[in-house]
Amino acid sequence: MGPTPYNSSNSSSSACSSSTKPPPPQPPDQMDHLLAGAGYKVRSNDLTQVAERLEHLETVMVKSSPVDISDIGNDAVYYNPTDLASWVDSLLTELNPNVSGSGSGSGSGSGSGFVSGSGPAYVSDPVMNDMNNVYGEFGQQVVTPIEEDVSIRLVHVLMTCAEAVQRGDMSLAGLLIDDLQGLLGRVNSGCGIGKVGSFFVDALSRRVVNSPQNGVVQVDLSAYENEILYHHYYEACPYLKFAHFTANQAILEAFDGQDCVHVIDFNLMQGLQWPALIQALALRPGGPPLLRLTGIGPPSLDGRDSLREIGLKLAELARSVNVRFAFRGVAASRLDDVKPWMLQVSPKEAVAVNSIMQLHKLLGPGGPRGPPVDLVLDWIRDLNPRILMVVEQESNHNQPEFLDRFTESLYYYSTMFDSLDACTAQPEKTLAELYIQREICNVVCCEGSARVERHEPLVRWRERLTGAGFAPLHLGSNAFKQARMLLTLFSAEGYSVEENEGCLTLGWHSRPLIAASAWQAIPKPSVVTTGR
Amino acid sequence: MAGSDQINVCESKKVVPLNTWILMSNFKLAYNLLRRPDGTFNRHLAEFLDRKVPANVNPVDGVFSFDIVIDRSTNLLSRIYRPAAPETEGGVPLSTSFNLLEKPVSKSDFVPVIIFFHGGSFAHSSANSAIYDILCRRLAGLCKAVVVSVNYRRAPEHPYPSAYDDGWTALEWVNSRPWLQSKDSKAHIFLAGDSSGGNIVHHVALRAVKSQIRILGNILLNPMFGGQTRTESETRLDTKYFVTIQDRDWYWKAFLPEGEDRDHPACNPFGPRGISLEGVKFPKSLVVVAGLDLIQDWQLAYADGLKRAGQDVKLLFLEKATIGFYLLPNNDHFHIVMDEISNFVRPMPDCE
Repeated sequence: MGPTPYNSSNSSSSACSSSTKPPPPQPPDQMDHLLAGAGYKVRSNDLTQVAERLEHLETVMVKSSPVDISDIGNDAVYYNPTDLASWVDSLLTELNPNVSGSGSGSGSGSGSGFVSGSGPAYVSDPVMNDMNNVYGEFGQQVVTPIEEDVSIRLVHVLMTCAEAVQRGDMSLAGLLIDDLQGLLGRVNSGCGIGKVGSFFVDALSRRVVNSPQNGVVQVDLSAYENEILYHHYYEACPYLKFAHFTANQAILEAFDGQDCVHVIDFNLMQGLQWPALIQALALRPGGPPLLRLTGIGPPSLDGRDSLREIGLKLAELARSVNVRFAFRGVAASRLDDVKPWMLQVSPKEAVAVNSIMQLHKLLGPGGPRGPPVDLVLDWIRDLNPRILMVVEQESNHNQPEFLDRFTESLYYYSTMFDSLDACTAQPEKTLAELYIQREICNVVCCEGSARVERHEPLVRWRERLTGAGFAPLHLGSNAFKQARMLLTLFSAEGYSVEENEGCLTLGWHSRPLIAASAWQAIPKPSVVTTGR
Repeated sequence: MAGSDQINVCESKKVVPLNTWILMSNFKLAYNLLRRPDGTFNRHLAEFLDRKVPANVNPVDGVFSFDIVIDRSTNLLSRIYRPAAPETEGGVPLSTSFNLLEKPVSKSDFVPVIIFFHGGSFAHSSANSAIYDILCRRLAGLCKAVVVSVNYRRAPEHPYPSAYDDGWTALEWVNSRPWLQSKDSKAHIFLAGDSSGGNIVHHVALRAVKSQIRILGNILLNPMFGGQTRTESETRLDTKYFVTIQDRDWYWKAFLPEGEDRDHPACNPFGPRGISLEGVKFPKSLVVVAGLDLIQDWQLAYADGLKRAGQDVKLLFLEKATIGFYLLPNNDHFHIVMDEISNFVRPMPDCE
């Protein structure tokens, strides 16, 4: 058949869709839904203006040399490419520093954003913050190196068993667990779905044998044992390092120009995050600030004051690099037991609140005063922190239906195990796997207040934090690039860092597993400021 | 030159809807930052800027997707799109989707499997880029096909022949999955791609000729071909519709082996160093050419080369279309092409 030329008389002069009716007038805040599908948020009513800015940008680019353009690609810092209008403006600013941006789409941000050359990162635009994230309804994700045959069978029976558990049919569940043990014998349980499968079979069988309502399903470890597992997990894979690294960068930027700074760490653990920040502050142009660190951790039951021990070590390090440093430990078994007065925040300090995989523990059943997470977010806001850093597992393990939680965690943890397989030597791996196993067990076996691993995805945290009076501080292309470079230190090539509307995620292949976001408290309306 | 740039900007704006113009212009200008004059590529910034989306086991518009690593040694990932069965619209329990992986797609129906290679001039984009995720989802839904979108390795870090090798790996993988089989217990494989992806389609099909693997058809959307000489369309349309000769040259230099020119057969399959496909059992081809694409002369020459070799080729020339017209469903060209593709992936009347 010969060529079929397109009949140009079919196209309307505006080259729009074949309907001859003009599109219905959009409500003022409506996003262009086609651009949204492509990952860009532009209000329909702003299309013309954004187009003009793009035309202007092109004119400016044409006048610049390729080397200059390449340089701004290399050196400048960019934020949130989804907000197309502000992205275009930031390019214009880079190419032509004398001309100001149009301001469309981006907030005013005077002094409240990051100071790294490319314009405000503080977004005050309520429509841009519209939490109806286009991808919000895209619930469950699957990724994974699914191997076939026996592994698929294994997953299939795991699901059927979980369904039986959800229905309360424990005798069927028990039979299926026997099946599963058999399958585990045939699959390669040294890696991939076989390895993680055995942990899920174990978790299911615990749940079947000791129903969560009756007995204790998961034995508490001693603080020492917890620390060992944590340390191996820290070494075996980059997730915690990414969290610490990204948080420290954001905190460093938030503390720029501040002389008295106070970091509140919601889970001090071994304080692994802080030496790097102390050293970075030591090297700060203009000299280090006075650094206070308040570390929250569980009370020691074995007579050791582990919080104090860590504090002393960090103090020693700070002394060695000439950073004035003060440490305070706050012992609390739960974050919602912490009262703000325990933190002794002074109004003159710049405060950073650092929460690495802690906030989800507050999503359990609430007391008479309301959900724990709301109470805690409220007092955080009262501290008026310059930055609240939140890193969380990027998955929904807090769904009300057991089967949904089970399914989602199966995929999440099998992806995580897969990443471990690819890059870790055997000795470290086993204990790191045990660390993860405890999380799995908590998600699958526990209920009520015992179930603390209530992970929720970034989409939900955005809603929650915005609702609690926080505004996003965007993490930019510099943090992104440094995170990617950090990953090259790991031999496995499957790790991927992604930018998601001002937040960064680290994942394995195309599946994000950890999400890092930064926030700033919006001052409460009733607060009276007596001075600047 | 300022005057003619004004004209360029006005011209391209007249022929596409405003949101398309914004999308394509944004790519054009952002990509300028990424191509360094010394031939290196700012991959960090490219990945930062690329808008990506996760796979979706809950059907969206009747199609669900999941990612699979199809080759661990190269970390080759593919995103698979499958139409959800009508009665499970609105929430397929995951266990069901795993059932689907155990069994063939259908015992009785002919379900095409389209192996898709995204565009990006060999350097940009990924299988999980938003624009390509949406395109594949639409293809799967409209054609009632399984779509396998291949996340091939990109230039300049992985020049020729990495992308072709990955395409070949994907083809072999698809061909050997029992669960991608349908009618007559066979996988009914089509290759499709846009821009560089279209180029990959040709070369994978070429490689398959000597193998046992049967490809039922090739779909090339604005395929990326070129050559050393400057053609009339290149000169006439340079800089006018989002693409420049200069950027085309940069991408070829990044993809082709060191020291090679654009008459290398990867770039110019029917050029002075090309091979004839006369007498070769090559799949039927659907070649879509946009009338405002500056490389159309090379694309038309490709279609012509197939024709002269006696191959079955349908050329769809869309006079007023620009590159990327298929990324947003807001124009006639999009719908025309989707219909053509849908018809193209039907079984032959005398299905062997």
